[in-house]
Amino acid sequence: MLQNSPKIGHSSHVVTLDVRPQLLDALSALRDRVAAARFPLPLAGAARARANRDELLAQLDDYLVPRLRDPEAPLLAVVGGSTGAGKSTLVNSLVGRRVSEAGVLRPTTRTPVLVCHPEDHHWFSGMRVLPDLTRVWVPHHQDTADDLLLPGENPARVLRVETADTLPPGLALLDAPDIDSLVSDNRVLAAELISAADIWVMVTTAARYADAVPWHMLRTAKEYDVTLVTVLDRVPHQVVSEVSRQYGALMTKAGLGHVPRFTVPELPESAWGGGLLPATAVAALRTWLVHQTLDPAARQHVMARTAYGVLDSLNARMPELAGAAAAQYAAALRLTAAVDGAYDSEHARVRGRLQAGAVLAGDALKRWRAFPLDCTPGELLDTLVESLSALLLCAVAAADERVDDAWRREPAADAPELTARDPAPESAEHRIGLAVRRWRRELEEYAEDEVRELERGHAPDPEMVAALVATVLLGGRRARNAGEGLAERIGAHGALRLRDRGGRLLLDVVDRVMHTERERRLAPLDALEVHAEPQAELIAALSVLQKER
Amino acid sequence: MTAVTDQDHTEHPEHPERPKQHEHPEHDASEGSEAAMRTDSGSPWDDGLIARRVNGSAEEEQRTVTESRASGPQTVAPLAYGPHLGSRLEALRELVGLSRARLDHRTLAPAGRVLDESAARRRLSGQHTVVAIAGATGSGKSQLFNALAGVPISETGVRRPTTAAPIACSWSDGAASLIERLGIPPRLRRRPLQATADADERLRGLVLVDLPDHDSAAVQHREQVDRVLGLVDAVIWVVDPEKYADAMLHERYLRPMAAHAEVMFVVLNQIDRLPGEAAEQVLDDLRRLLDEDGIVLGEYGEPGTSVLALSALTGDGMGELREALGRFVSERGAPARRISADVDIAAARLWPVYATRRRVGLSEEAREEFSDRLADAVGATAAGEAAERAWLRNANRACGTPWLRLWRWCQERSEPSTGRVALRGQPDEEVTARQRVEQAVRTVADRASAGLPAPWAQAVREAATRGSQGLPEALDELAVRAGLPPGRPPRPGWWPLAVLVQASMTVLQFVGGLWLLGQIIGVTAPNLGVPVLLMVIGIVGGPLIEWSCRIAARGPARRYGLEAERRLREAASGCGRARVLDPVAAELLRYREVREQYGRVVGVGAGGGGG
Repeated sequence: MLQNSPKIGHSSHVVTLDVRPQLLDALSALRDRVAAARFPLPLAGAARARANRDELLAQLDDYLVPRLRDPEAPLLAVVGGSTGAGKSTLVNSLVGRRVSEAGVLRPTTRTPVLVCHPEDHHWFSGMRVLPDLTRVWVPHHQDTADDLLLPGENPARVLRVETADTLPPGLALLDAPDIDSLVSDNRVLAAELISAADIWVMVTTAARYADAVPWHMLRTAKEYDVTLVTVLDRVPHQVVSEVSRQYGALMTKAGLGHVPRFTVPELPESAWGGGLLPATAVAALRTWLVHQTLDPAARQHVMARTAYGVLDSLNARMPELAGAAAAQYAAALRLTAAVDGAYDSEHARVRGRLQAGAVLAGDALKRWRAFPLDCTPGELLDTLVESLSALLLCAVAAADERVDDAWRREPAADAPELTARDPAPESAEHRIGLAVRRWRRELEEYAEDEVRELERGHAPDPEMVAALVATVLLGGRRARNAGEGLAERIGAHGALRLRDRGGRLLLDVVDRVMHTERERRLAPLDALEVHAEPQAELIAALSVLQKER
Repeated sequence: MTAVTDQDHTEHPEHPERPKQHEHPEHDASEGSEAAMRTDSGSPWDDGLIARRVNGSAEEEQRTVTESRASGPQTVAPLAYGPHLGSRLEALRELVGLSRARLDHRTLAPAGRVLDESAARRRLSGQHTVVAIAGATGSGKSQLFNALAGVPISETGVRRPTTAAPIACSWSDGAASLIERLGIPPRLRRRPLQATADADERLRGLVLVDLPDHDSAAVQHREQVDRVLGLVDAVIWVVDPEKYADAMLHERYLRPMAAHAEVMFVVLNQIDRLPGEAAEQVLDDLRRLLDEDGIVLGEYGEPGTSVLALSALTGDGMGELREALGRFVSERGAPARRISADVDIAAARLWPVYATRRRVGLSEEAREEFSDRLADAVGATAAGEAAERAWLRNANRACGTPWLRLWRWCQERSEPSTGRVALRGQPDEEVTARQRVEQAVRTVADRASAGLPAPWAQAVREAATRGSQGLPEALDELAVRAGLPPGRPPRPGWWPLAVLVQASMTVLQFVGGLWLLGQIIGVTAPNLGVPVLLMVIGIVGGPLIEWSCRIAARGPARRYGLEAERRLREAASGCGRARVLDPVAAELLRYREVREQYGRVVGVGAGGGGG
């Protein structure tokens, strides 16, 4: 479908809605990429990135993809604005019937209401747009939707669909909740609904036109270059011209001078509770909307402008998301590097201490001095094993402390998944003890092997040999005598062989313990699955999309 | 002016100097502050309270004094905070001072600001109450301001936002320095219509400030509002039927200021725009929203926020506001209540860095465990066991039969010796297991800092780490010094006897043997019975003596070993206590002090401050 629009809206090229299947494919690929993006680390921009992602996803799901897929679907005009701006009253007046509840208590509209011509009902009753809102269809002359809600259904996630003959076919009006509602669910829903619109109808009032909140909304609308129309509601008769002029000046100053503005006066019969303005009050707006709907060229223009505006906005929003993803990855890398650095340096320290014979100190050293007269080989082995466990446990604890220190300076480390530490620190002790005891058993088996090879007559006690070889391996320079004793007992050759095998086994145990503990420390971070790919994928999806346009 | 002095005279006859101060507003502040300092430095309330408790007979007299003093500052001239608030502020000041080394500047900044503001406010007039009118654009703040003042002071209009800078209006003199503090230039200071001011005796002392809006696109307006709201004594929030549920108002201002409920009014303006009962409905809804914000509503005369509906345009409900405001201003309690609420908020904000979930401190078990770990590190258990066994071995050798000794000696000569001999001679470096010491310190620091707020836990850990530097070396030295009990190992009293009996057994064997030999070669008369008996006694008795000696030696050996272990253990734990546990305990004590001070700030220990 290729049609020219009489007016050129936003950029130099002719506004058309040219939808090729490749574009749709690229768009849905991009949508999947956006849906897959995660920002689990609490960095400075993460909350913002998460909100942006949700908004973008909502806009893709609720608006862009359905719109490009079905260009002939009715135009959806969403009426948004601050609390008490008179959105419901405006929608009721445009329809000419009370479809949305209006009142003096704020916030009034808690359930969004969609009004369309009966012929268009099928477009909205399905899940084509706003797929995550439950549809409620209310027959005529029912007062409130709240009575009809099934029990337990979240009133905020419901869309009420109404039909009215008074609307022209091809136009649907949506009465959204307040954009600055006190109820945060309502706020989120309002933003989501506005994102789904072909025409953004921003309602503000004489008392509000300088408020910050609506202006944020207007700026966003400008940024996305959507079809926008503003309504200045509730203007007292006396000041219509002045307020209108003021507002116009503000709009022009904000670069929105071209946006159609409609003024609705404050009327006593409508303002509070009545909910219906006389048709004349909203005639201009109605005429404008009807024109956009019925005139094919205008309709095409309106639709294409918003669609392309959103497509164009991807050029800025996708790199922003990609940047946030990159920041996440960088932070994850920093956290990982801190862990690796701490464990590496502790690992090196453990090896150095092992070589220096640090294990043969304290209890073990006392036992060794009493050996063999006042101490059995078994006891010596026990204390050596215990001492080795203590050395490894100390290294792991020191590494953890260094990691904690480093992570304390990282905002990303505040993620709840990372702060919830291993509940039982004894478990590390347990694991290390297990590994070291296994090493002892293997060493004893090696010693038995060596002893078995010797002649029967001279064969020394295998446990004695195991104790001596353990002392040699763990005692460093201090255990020189143990080496001599070992050589005397099983021969120089056998002693050398046993030392080599035992030494390899020891290094293996130390490496394994440090590696396991490091992996355990990194596990929660790995579970967050912060990778480098999302950044590249987001950018790639965007560039594919750009190529397809 | 005369009206003021008259009123003051009638109400507070003990302060005849008030009128003079009114004529010299410039001096007002300085004198006021001096008076405040006087009352504070003299701290008559605290002393009185203590004296009353100590000396029962003086109770009645003291109470009257206390009451007159306590009620004084609320109604009399210079601003002075009540004893309760005074002690809380003092506690907050001390708390900030004590914590400066431990907490970062950012955490303490709000508390410091409260202190600064309270000090600044105290220096200024206590006769006046500064009330700000705040609200959204177009809610009619200026309209209300003008209606209260009786003259169109503040510009009103449909152009939004209207008021760009705060305007002050003082109902009586002497508020210049107060307004100065708000940063309002003299050209924006006004006086109400004389007739209105005269008609409203009760509003005397009111300084009304009209603020810009807080929700317009003009950011500098919001900044002005935020700045002035931090300095005024009370706030009137003006809302209108259209905007009363704005998220900006509730989330940004009312919820954080919920602690200030007693110095807030919420006014629903423009009720003339609402038909019939709608006004009542909206007012109820507004009350509900305020309640959800956590604001205590002052209904039925209870302290809290007053919620009023009025129309500044038609004058509907203005009387009620005037009356409420008059009552409020004449109480002269707003500044103190505001500061009190500020202290509440500051204390609540500091909660995470002071509060603990459970009792902190170094438990006896943790100390024991630390000692045990250090003992392990120097090898106390092993050393004790080794000493015990060595003693037992020596005892056995001494009391054993000579034949067994001979056999053992031969055995030893044929056995290859292990490193024991060589090791004895060489001096050892790093006798202490470094890793065990490190782990012991880490564990005890973890135990001590468990449950502490992060900064204090960090401080405890640092103290432990600092103390542990040089600890292994000290333990090395100590292990050499306290390794074994000095001198020869103690020997039990029966020892010589045992050796004697053993020797006599050997002698018996020899005697029996020689006798038999004599008989064989025919030197002595043949008598088989006695020598055989002697030999048998000798042969059986020797090992028997040895065995019983071994049994008997066990006790002394055990004692000797335990003594060796105890010496090493005590030396190690003494060293650890001096170097690690004491600094850690000092740090914990410091935290406890600060915690107590915090309790006083929160107000729990305020009564305790007096006693």
